[in-house]
Order: sequence, then C-alpha cells, then structure tokens
Amino acid sequence: MGLTGSGTVVSWPMVVVLIILVTLPQWIGPVGFYTYLGVEIVIWMIFALGFNLLLGYTGLPSFGHGAYFGLGAYGFGLFQLNVMQNLWFGLVAAIILAAIGGALVAVFVSHRRGIYFALLTIAFGQIFWFISIKWHTVTGGEDGLLNIPRPVVELGFLEFSLKTNTALYYLVLCVFAVVVVGLWRLVHSPFGKVIQAIKQNEMRARFVGYNVWLYKWLVFTISAGIAGLAGGLFAMAQESAYPDVMSLHASGFVVMMTLVGGGFVSFWGPVIGVVIFFLARDLLGSLTETWLLWYGLIFMAMVLFKPEGAAGILQDWTEAVSKVASKKSARRPPTIS
Amino acid sequence: MELIKNLLPHLVNGLSLGLLFALIAIGFMLIVGVMELINLAHGSLFALGAYAAMAIINPDLAWLGAMGTWYTELPLTVRYIVGLAFAPALIAIVGFGIEICMRRTYGKDPLYGLLLTFGVALVIEELIRIIWGSGEQIMPTPDAIGGAFLFGGMIYSKYRFFSAGFATAVIFAVWLFLQKTPYGAIIKAGAHDSEMVRALGINLTLLRLFVFGFGASLAAIAGIVLTPIWGLRPHVGVDVVVPAFLIIVLGGIGSFWGAVIASLLVGLTVGITGAYASEWSLMSMYLLLIAVVTFRARGLFGKKSVLEA
Repeated sequence: MGLTGSGTVVSWPMVVVLIILVTLPQWIGPVGFYTYLGVEIVIWMIFALGFNLLLGYTGLPSFGHGAYFGLGAYGFGLFQLNVMQNLWFGLVAAIILAAIGGALVAVFVSHRRGIYFALLTIAFGQIFWFISIKWHTVTGGEDGLLNIPRPVVELGFLEFSLKTNTALYYLVLCVFAVVVVGLWRLVHSPFGKVIQAIKQNEMRARFVGYNVWLYKWLVFTISAGIAGLAGGLFAMAQESAYPDVMSLHASGFVVMMTLVGGGFVSFWGPVIGVVIFFLARDLLGSLTETWLLWYGLIFMAMVLFKPEGAAGILQDWTEAVSKVASKKSARRPPTIS
Repeated sequence: MELIKNLLPHLVNGLSLGLLFALIAIGFMLIVGVMELINLAHGSLFALGAYAAMAIINPDLAWLGAMGTWYTELPLTVRYIVGLAFAPALIAIVGFGIEICMRRTYGKDPLYGLLLTFGVALVIEELIRIIWGSGEQIMPTPDAIGGAFLFGGMIYSKYRFFSAGFATAVIFAVWLFLQKTPYGAIIKAGAHDSEMVRALGINLTLLRLFVFGFGASLAAIAGIVLTPIWGLRPHVGVDVVVPAFLIIVLGGIGSFWGAVIASLLVGLTVGITGAYASEWSLMSMYLLLIAVVTFRARGLFGKKSVLEA
C-alpha cells in the first residue's frame, strides 16, 4: 500500500488497524502497559497523519508543527474554562484556532519550499511557543492552563462521562477513525493528486495551470487544523495545556515519528512511527533515564540507512515474499508503488 | 539627551548580543552555503563548546596527582585562554564526526540532512545531561573582564565590552580568511556551486569536512563567550539556534555582511525593547522577522550568489 494506491472508501490496512485499536483496552493491560498510553498514541496518530499530508504528500518540511498542536490545546482549554463546558464546541474551537494560526503562517511560507520553508516554519513555530510562555494572563505562562475539565459526551440520544481513560480512549478512537477516512478520501481525491504533483515538481504543476500557492496554503491550513484537533484532545487527556508541546523538540518529534514510520512511502507510515516512538519511550524509558539518547541514535541510523522508515522495510519484505512466491521479478518503480 | 543617556547601556548590551549572534549565524551560514544543510545541531554544538570550555577551565584532575594540581593552580586567566583555544578545536573534531555521518545524505532530499542533525542535537543534549547534569552551571570568567565600571553616571558591565570586542575580532578574522586567502576563495566558490568546484579538481570531501568543523568551532567560540551572559544549561542550544535561524532568514541566505547586519539589528532590537518591556524583548526579533519576510521575502541581502561579501 503506497502513498497512492486504490482510492476505495475502506482498505484492508484500515480494517486491520481499526480492529487492533478497538480491542486495545482489552489487551493493553495484560501486555504490561496502560490504557492512557493508548489515548496518547491515538492522539499523536491523528497529529502525525495530519502532518504527513504536508510532509509526505506535499513534500513540505514543516518543522514548527507543534505550534498548531499547542494552539489546539490552548483553544480547547480556554473554551472550556472561559466560555462553556462542551466537548464538541471545544473541539471545534481547537480546530478553528489552530487553523487560523496555520492559515496566517501559511500566507508567509506558501511561496517557499525546501530549506527555506523549514527555516520559516521553525521561526513561526517559535513565535507561538514564545507567546504561550510570556502571555501569562491568557496562557498561564510556563505552567500553562490547569484543571481543564473532561466534558460529558452528548450525542442527543446518549450521554457518557470521560472520567475513565477507557471512555476517553474510545472517544479519541472515534475521532481518529473519522480523520483517517477523511484524509484517505482527501489524498485520493483530485486535490490529493495535485499536492503529490507539487511534491514531485512544483514548477511543472504550476505550468500545468494549478495555483500552487493556493494548494500549499490550503494543505498547510488543513494540516494545522488537524493538529489543532489532536491538540484539543490532548489538552482533555492531560487536563492541562502547557507550552512544552509547542517547543522545537515537540515539533521535531512529530517529524521523527512520521519519518521513522515511513510517511514518505505509505499513508500508514505515521501511524507506525507513533507506535514505535511511544513504545521506545516506555520500554527504553524503563531501562534508562536517558532514553532520548538511544532513540536519537536509532533515529540517526534510520535516516542514514533506511530513510523510507518502517513502512519501507515492510514494503521491501512483502515485495521479496511476493517475488519468491511468483518467481517473477515484477519491475515496478521503487518509489511509489 | 537624557533619553540617549538612558538608552546607552541597552544599546551596548544589544550590540554585544548582536555581535555574538553574528558569530553563531556565520558558522551556521557557512554550513548552509557549502552543504545546503540546515544544521539543527548548531545550538547543541554551541552548548557543548561552552561545557567543554568549562571542563577545561575547571577540570577535575585529582587523578593526575601533581600534574593535575599544577594545572588547577595556574591563574584563572591562563586556564580561560586555554579553554578558549582548545574547546573550539575539540568541537571542530565533533563537527568532523557529524560531517562524516552526514555523507550518506548528500544528493538526497535536503530534509534528511536536517533530520539527521535533529537527531544529533538530541543525542548531544542528552550526553550533556549525562555528563554534567541538568542543572544550571556557571561559566567561569577571569576577574580582569568581570565586574562593572562607571561611565558618565551609568554602570556598564566590563564583560559586555570584552565579548563585543572579542566577537568583532573573530568576525573580522573570519572575513579576512574568506576574502583574502585562497582557502576562503575555495569555500566561497563551494558555496556558490560545489559541483563546479569539484570539477576544477578541488577535493570537495575535504572542503565539506573542513567547513563543517570550522562552523562548529565558531559555534563553540560563541558558546564560550555568550554563556556567562545567558547562563549554561543543557537546552541552551535551542535558545540560541532560533535567533541564528532568524538572522539567516533576515539577512538572506548567503550574505556574509547581511548576516552581520541582521545580527546587529536583532541584537539592537532585543536590547532596546529590553529597556521598555523586558519580558517581551525576545519577541521583538520575531516581529522584525515577520516585517522583513513580508516586505522583502528574500531577506535584506539575499542574493543568488552565495556568500558574496
């Protein structure tokens, strides 16, 4: 399953991923982890999938994406604390705030690409981070917003509380499912084809007649909005919002996850990458306090020797298996299969 | 007149900060120019340089016996000079190591180089935590350049003047090196078109190795001089690498004097806003960036030809 691939509404990997995730609260305890880890993982999956729209599909390396995650978190928190306690409106507020922030930044960065794009997104990301630290009256400074409630889920016909992590997990999973289907449709739509064309050759895409600037602006804004949604959920999960998630490190982590998982070659790459990151954090973290050192080294090795990431390794395997099976070397182009 | 007199210390602070930013930015830009690589580890090299110098100035040499006590009993000034000389050399060697790792990413998407250096930055920061701990450290400075003096009724810190003077000297030396020596010419040519330089029979591999080491040691020098002002903590690199990015974007990629002028501009903006709203002083440089990017997207002095003086 490559970046492109059949544009069916539901695909096999999607079903497999969903089955694994739906049953997660049942087996994660016996395996030795905890449900909250599942919540965290799924939230970051949403974030990374949205981010990959920018990195993997459009080829735009945003290195300040934590800012929009953070904007979502603050948007959700401020809405709950100052306007009203309502889940859906809170999440909408998170998306809108992050999308506005993203749209503003995108105005400045959309005519750039490559290194310059990365530099500018870092700079803008730092602006948001800085504001979140210094604007004490609104953001609570370095401590952030505390005691953000987990509002009750109201669906008209039923209501349930999110006090337990299992309930929260299923809510987050539902949001994840919606985001996956939405993004899947988006990247297989004509819009998705255009942004992949921009990744391959921006100038050609322009010559064919597409308004490249507008497409890049839109992708950035959408991606920021999804980051905001993830951020809003994160604020709810953590019951707080703080500047750390906007730092250069957090922004780098999402790039790392997306790349380690294989966002360049597969739609599901970011999902794999997020799982690897959090497992590494918990497993290495239980062995040594300096797990980031080891994760950093693993990451460096990955960039050097297998930049296609985990999904790339999987694709190599399946290709090798099918080659052995059919005894025919189907010569397909190595990049997007 | 009164206004100028009140502003003068802030101007001095701003200028000295700007000159140090320029040191970081120039090293950063040399690497961007020759390798087309954003070195996210630049801030970590800055921090590592400062920590290395601190370790050289105040080492734990009990295990060396008489030799150790002989060194630790040398005057602080001597040890400071030793640190200032050897720490950048040490960081240059670290830079060589990073460049050698980097080689696999040449010719690929520049993003991979960026990501690799992000990994390097993480690793260096964690190493610093392991070796020196997470707490704030104090960078020792000789008494001769510490303290303050009075001038025209205002108090100035001596160290600010030392750091400004030192930074100016280094910047000037780098400029002379780039402008007046054949090696400098090769670096500038490499930044302009590295493939052509290779075609002319110059060892590009060696050039890249050297430039990375050189940039890294400039970061280390800046680290040693700037950390007595900014404080020394493992994540100080991030605080520093961001102004460096801003300066490069402001000055325009590839312009030596653009970087210097942008640094001074950033330093002065930070210094002057520091006089009125110290909380927000660092914010001003971001606003400066937005203003420049809006009105002149390429930066103040950005050109097609890279590293044109």
